[in-house]
Amino acid sequence: MLRFVGRRALYAIPLLLAIIILMFSMLHMIPGDPVQALVGDYPVPPAYRQVIEEKYRLNDPFLVQVGNYLLNVAQGDFGFSYQNQRGVLDLILERAPRTILLASVSFALAIPLGMAIGIAAGTTRRPGVDKFWTTTALIAYAIPTFWLGQLLVMLFALRLGWFPTQGIGPLISRTHGIAWLFEKLRYLALPVLAFGIHEGMRIARIMRASVIDTLSQGYIITARSKGLSRGQIIRSHVLRNSSLPLVTIAGYAFGSALGGAVLLETVFTWPGLGLLLVDSIRLRDNMTVVGVVIFSAVAVVAMNLIVDLLYAALDPRIRTMR
Amino acid sequence: MSDSKTATAPASGNGIPVGSWQAHIANLFGTRHGALGAGILIVLVIVATAAPLIAPYNPLEQTQLSLAPPSSQFLFGTDNIGRDVFSLVVYGSRSSLLVGLGAALAALLIGGTLGILAGYFQGPVEAALMRLVELFQTLPVIILVLCAVALFGSNFWLLIAAVALAIWPMEARLVYGQYIKLRDREFIAAARVADLSTAHIMFREILPNAIQPIIVQVALDASIAILIEAGLGFLGLSDPSKVSWGRLLFVAQDYMDSAWWMSLFPGAAICITVVGLNLFADGLNEVIDPRSTSGMGGLQ
Amino acid sequence: MSASLLLDVNDLKVHLRLGHKVVKAIDGVDFQVRPGECVGIVGESGSGKSTMARAVTRLMPNVNIEELSGRLAFEGRDILGMADSELRALRRGRGFSMIFQDPLGYLNPTQRIGRQIQEALSRDAGRGSDKARVHTLLDEVGLPDAANLARRYPHELSGGMRQRVMIAIALASDPQLLFADEPTTALDATVQLQVLQTLYRLHKERNMAMAIITHDLGVVAELCDRVYVMRAGKVIESAETVTLFEQPQHDYSRRLIELSTRRLTRELQS
Repeated sequence: MLRFVGRRALYAIPLLLAIIILMFSMLHMIPGDPVQALVGDYPVPPAYRQVIEEKYRLNDPFLVQVGNYLLNVAQGDFGFSYQNQRGVLDLILERAPRTILLASVSFALAIPLGMAIGIAAGTTRRPGVDKFWTTTALIAYAIPTFWLGQLLVMLFALRLGWFPTQGIGPLISRTHGIAWLFEKLRYLALPVLAFGIHEGMRIARIMRASVIDTLSQGYIITARSKGLSRGQIIRSHVLRNSSLPLVTIAGYAFGSALGGAVLLETVFTWPGLGLLLVDSIRLRDNMTVVGVVIFSAVAVVAMNLIVDLLYAALDPRIRTMR
Repeated sequence: MSDSKTATAPASGNGIPVGSWQAHIANLFGTRHGALGAGILIVLVIVATAAPLIAPYNPLEQTQLSLAPPSSQFLFGTDNIGRDVFSLVVYGSRSSLLVGLGAALAALLIGGTLGILAGYFQGPVEAALMRLVELFQTLPVIILVLCAVALFGSNFWLLIAAVALAIWPMEARLVYGQYIKLRDREFIAAARVADLSTAHIMFREILPNAIQPIIVQVALDASIAILIEAGLGFLGLSDPSKVSWGRLLFVAQDYMDSAWWMSLFPGAAICITVVGLNLFADGLNEVIDPRSTSGMGGLQ
Repeated sequence: MSASLLLDVNDLKVHLRLGHKVVKAIDGVDFQVRPGECVGIVGESGSGKSTMARAVTRLMPNVNIEELSGRLAFEGRDILGMADSELRALRRGRGFSMIFQDPLGYLNPTQRIGRQIQEALSRDAGRGSDKARVHTLLDEVGLPDAANLARRYPHELSGGMRQRVMIAIALASDPQLLFADEPTTALDATVQLQVLQTLYRLHKERNMAMAIITHDLGVVAELCDRVYVMRAGKVIESAETVTLFEQPQHDYSRRLIELSTRRLTRELQS
């Protein structure tokens, strides 16, 4: 099993290198002044111009520039955001926890919801129930999260006034304990609902297909011939085995959560990584754009490794591999 | 999947050979899913092509009334600068469908070519191409497209190219998988033995057999492309000279408290389009592999 | 007469829907098993022998059944009309069990062997702990080091061991009748013989009736008291094993016998 995970980790390194090189090449391909390409739409004082040229070795051949950039990134130096007057990594580390909070609470809703629907649709004996849930999941999955977010804001925040329309709450809160948590939850509720429904429906669709596949396996026939009841079969032979594919898509889902955050955070003005990316794009703060993308790639690759470990722990066929 | 190459194609009840195109299309309309999806798509295509006949106003023309709620005069109301939302939604179908179809077909071209190459030349080429696919699949699609648009601007055709560049790996995977599955089948081996040319084997023997799952993937890709285009529009990063549903939602974001219709109708249009494509894909899938839709059945 | 029968099947019909066609997988079959006897069901693949076993044990896979009819009685009780709970009770104790051709596919890959056997144990009080009973069963099917084995997963075992585990699962409910569907087809020749010997020993020791489904008349010749020959969903001949081999009534049976003797001589020569 260690070898399995080790091999996957070795795959990850060239993958990350390739992404970083790709991103730097894209920066390089921007027509015009290379210093301006790095800095974006921000007036560069002549004194800084030389500093930047030296730091990124802009007068050296392209390969030297790439190597130099890789070294910088490896040391955690993602560059400087002139628009924000802060280091890019600093910005990212401030924003990332908020996105992680949003995503993890959303998945805490989406996973049980999606699994429950997927199992209900996959195991039901009444075709009507299956049809109902598949159609619901299909339609709900087609709703763009940002539009659902707008609808939720218009109904629950503006019309009914139950929740705030945007933001993550006051910076300095006067409340503590339960009241503080409650206040946080009020800000989280709508974005989490929009995101959770979307991701939940994706999970439901995968889960249903997986349950149906599991039910067609021979060991389900064996379980029936043992005289187990429907419930017993589902509990001890269907649930675990059909959840395994869900684990494999977790890495991908994490990535798509990052992508989804871009849109969702814009709807709710949730100051996470996604909003940082969008704002940086609007301000042409290229250094930050590239930094966020590289950071996301690292996060996705790391998540994929964790998923491999988790999968190996859950599937004895891999766990006992030597 | 029934093999249409066999000499004696069994006939279905209505006299159409099983496995033929006509049979599949007939079956597709037989499944309620597929028929509904195909119906939605047909209506959308009609709306997009006949937009000038359907839209009551010029979508860019500003009327006297801004932010007017839906009425008999303005079915979907008017926006902040007095444009008719219904006409905007009608014209918006053009860019959505164009991006959807354009990006999906371009992705098929890129992904399909690379997938077939990977399948045909085994060994290092195969490995290298599959690593490339992985590379592109590591980053979330929307972030890839955002990057491209951020760095190179939001020209409409550039957008299609960027979306295609982001979704081609799915096509490559599928085509590659289909190719591998079919590569060792008997009739391919027979074609090899008969010394038919490489191109002949690829396009006359393998492609016709792999085409149905590929159409399903193209439909799903188109729905993803439409969602991405809508997302970019919503972020205000799509081509400002084109009317698009996403861009309408971008504007609506500032008028959520006063004009719900500016958000509701364009959003619903996106939904219906994506649902249509997914239903169509589902229906087609059901025709190809009926097993995929049966539930618990025998478990007592 | 029917009182002395363990299983009595009359005019069984199983028609399946495949696309637009209806296939008569079983088309009016009569079939009987007496307590403690060993019956063989032979035929080529597609003759309907597996489908019959699945229909009788009510373990039909997930297919579209167009028609399923006939009189199926186990100890005089109607199997087809039986309520699910009654059927489960029969599978749990003193009823019928089944083993399959491909033991790997029929074992849950993510569960330990011990648990998969334990799950099938009949609910008898006063027969020791579940764990002890599982170990006894593993011993009984000829798998030594039961304590260690119970903690293994299916993929860690050889094909022959897996089939023995399947047998242990089948025996866990103390069945009066065991259906064995091509129990040795997927195994190596030497392992085949060992597994068959084990089955025969268990059949004798437990006085358990067996119905062996196979395409190999050699298996039947060694184990079975009586034989049913099936072809295209029908039983075309049924007789005592000895009678069938000495005076086959049907051309098809004669051909099957010739085939298996030829195979046997080939094996003996090599």
